[in-house]
Amino acid sequence: MTSFAETEATLAIAADDADRADRRLGLYLTLPAQILVLFIAVFPLLMQLYISLTSWSPLSGRGWWDAWTLWNNFANYLNLAVDARWWSALLRTLLVMAICVPAEFLLGLALAILFMDNFRGKRVFYSILLMPMMVVPAVAGYMFFMLFQSGGPVNNIASAISGHNVAIAWLSNPSLAFIAVAVADIWQWTPLMFLILLAGLLGVPDDQLKAATLLGANWWQRFVTIMLPRMRAIIVIALAIRLIENFKIFDTLYIMTAGGPGTATETISVFIYKLTTNDLSWGYVAAIALVVLISLSVALGIAIARQTKRREAAS
Amino acid sequence: MSSIHLKGLTKHFGSFQAIKQMDLDVHDGEFLALLGPSGCGKSTTMNIIAGMEGATTGRVLFGERDVSDVPMTRRGVGFVFQNYAIFTHMSVRANLAYGLKVRGVPKPEIDKRVAAIADFLQLAPFLDRPSAKLSVNILQRLAIGRSAIVQPAIFLLDEPLSNVDAAFRAVMRTELKHLQRQFKQTMVYVTHDQLEAMTMADRIAVMDHGVLQQVGTPLDVYNNPANVFVARFIGSPGMNLLPASLRETDGNIVADLGAAGVSRPLPRGAAKAAYAQGIQDVWFGFRPEELSLAADSQGIAASVTFIERIGSRTVVHFDAGQAAGKAVFQNDVPLHAGGAAHMVPADAAVRLFDRSTGRAIGEA
Repeated sequence: MTSFAETEATLAIAADDADRADRRLGLYLTLPAQILVLFIAVFPLLMQLYISLTSWSPLSGRGWWDAWTLWNNFANYLNLAVDARWWSALLRTLLVMAICVPAEFLLGLALAILFMDNFRGKRVFYSILLMPMMVVPAVAGYMFFMLFQSGGPVNNIASAISGHNVAIAWLSNPSLAFIAVAVADIWQWTPLMFLILLAGLLGVPDDQLKAATLLGANWWQRFVTIMLPRMRAIIVIALAIRLIENFKIFDTLYIMTAGGPGTATETISVFIYKLTTNDLSWGYVAAIALVVLISLSVALGIAIARQTKRREAAS
Repeated sequence: MSSIHLKGLTKHFGSFQAIKQMDLDVHDGEFLALLGPSGCGKSTTMNIIAGMEGATTGRVLFGERDVSDVPMTRRGVGFVFQNYAIFTHMSVRANLAYGLKVRGVPKPEIDKRVAAIADFLQLAPFLDRPSAKLSVNILQRLAIGRSAIVQPAIFLLDEPLSNVDAAFRAVMRTELKHLQRQFKQTMVYVTHDQLEAMTMADRIAVMDHGVLQQVGTPLDVYNNPANVFVARFIGSPGMNLLPASLRETDGNIVADLGAAGVSRPLPRGAAKAAYAQGIQDVWFGFRPEELSLAADSQGIAASVTFIERIGSRTVVHFDAGQAAGKAVFQNDVPLHAGGAAHMVPADAAVRLFDRSTGRAIGEA
């Protein structure tokens, strides 16, 4: 018995040694990749943090490594807190999200439900529906830029329908420009919602729907009690993707209005872009970017934690 | 309470005929088993009764009422799916309450009936558990409870016991029978397991290749199979069928089994009548349990190929002429593989089938 126990112990130690050697080898092998990641992700972040604490700009006549000489006592962050243009850009971004994402979700869901049934020409409609998603956003922006010109097709059609000469200056009226931009975003991204939600709907077990029907549930009852709860995870994913993407809205919008008229459609991305290319205040931009990154990470972290908690409670 | 009548039912899937011209009456309060091998159309029949699929032609009646065009939401049949189709995102309680809730039954009434059915099916300890992680046995009872709680007049079960273990299956067979006696529903039970059909059903409807082969009480189907398919399908092992030709000897009709010998005079008039009609080529059928050993040169001459001794009984596989057969004896028999055996079927147990049509000859 003793000898057996000893053997066991020896084996355990040997295994431990082997384990350690394995781990060391693993470290060596992944080292190049880790250094690369360090360079790609960590270094820019640190550099950003560094610059965000200074009033350095490419026109300051010094290399970025000398930026410390322009240390400005957190002035970038303090300015940001009271920068009216920043706050309105943030609010505008949130407003775009509040309009576009629910609209895309509801439209996408409605279309997905329609596509659960079979009808003539379903495949053709399916292809047509997915096309906007394939269009390069900048091209989509250009399309809607032309559509919404005062002499453009939108006004032409409105004239033809109403019988009056309609010449609305869509893109130069602050609130109309906002609507035009939202329409373009909804046009382009409803298909993605549709696609994800259709996948979700198709994943709802057919026999459960049949069982519910046999128990006397009508369509709406089945939708609320079976389909929606079964799609919860996929709805969360679809909304998350669109919220994150929509927060970064830029190409379409920039080509249509360039944030204008004035700053009427200026979102965070456009705001940052202008600060970077027009004002060249890179220290300030670095500060904004960091604030956005950290707030988004915190918000997302909380959302994920809550979701995980709910899932654990459910199981 | 409601009877079910299928009239001239057919169902095509493209060019495939799943059901061919089926007429079936299920009596009010009856437990009918729809029995057949996989792909025989029994599940399709069930889906048509439930309204999940429409028939290509033919009508479905519940009692006097033609429900062929009534959508499944309003047919009001209880249905237990083979995989149970439990709403796994809900608790056991929510599953049970579902049918009542969607019908707008008031809350206190729902609570009362859920408690009652949970008590009856021994689901009470699980009521507030999520249904996703229950064992198959509990899911099974839950599936039955969820349908039974709305007290449907017609209850359809699609192979509900095929996923549960053997011991629980025996328990559930009794439970189901008990449930049906208590609620007096008309039950249609789809199964490919003849033991389930024989033990539970008032009548059995045997199907094959979309054709209803025979409807009758379990014993009737067992004793007097309407055709060769039913004879082979019912019973474990099925009926032995040896090719034979009828001929007359000394005023008696006998079956000539070729190399296996000649049968004793066939006692029943049907054989005589068939012979008179010119039917000579028949299947000579008898149950494996109805054989007894005979002295040499009597009865059916067979060579034993294989013997299974299962304790309570002995199954002897044998060749008789060109055909193979099985014999089942209650005790061990002095036979050995490779040896010869002479066996005689009990006179009353012999069944004859027309070899050209496969149909049983009279009360043979």
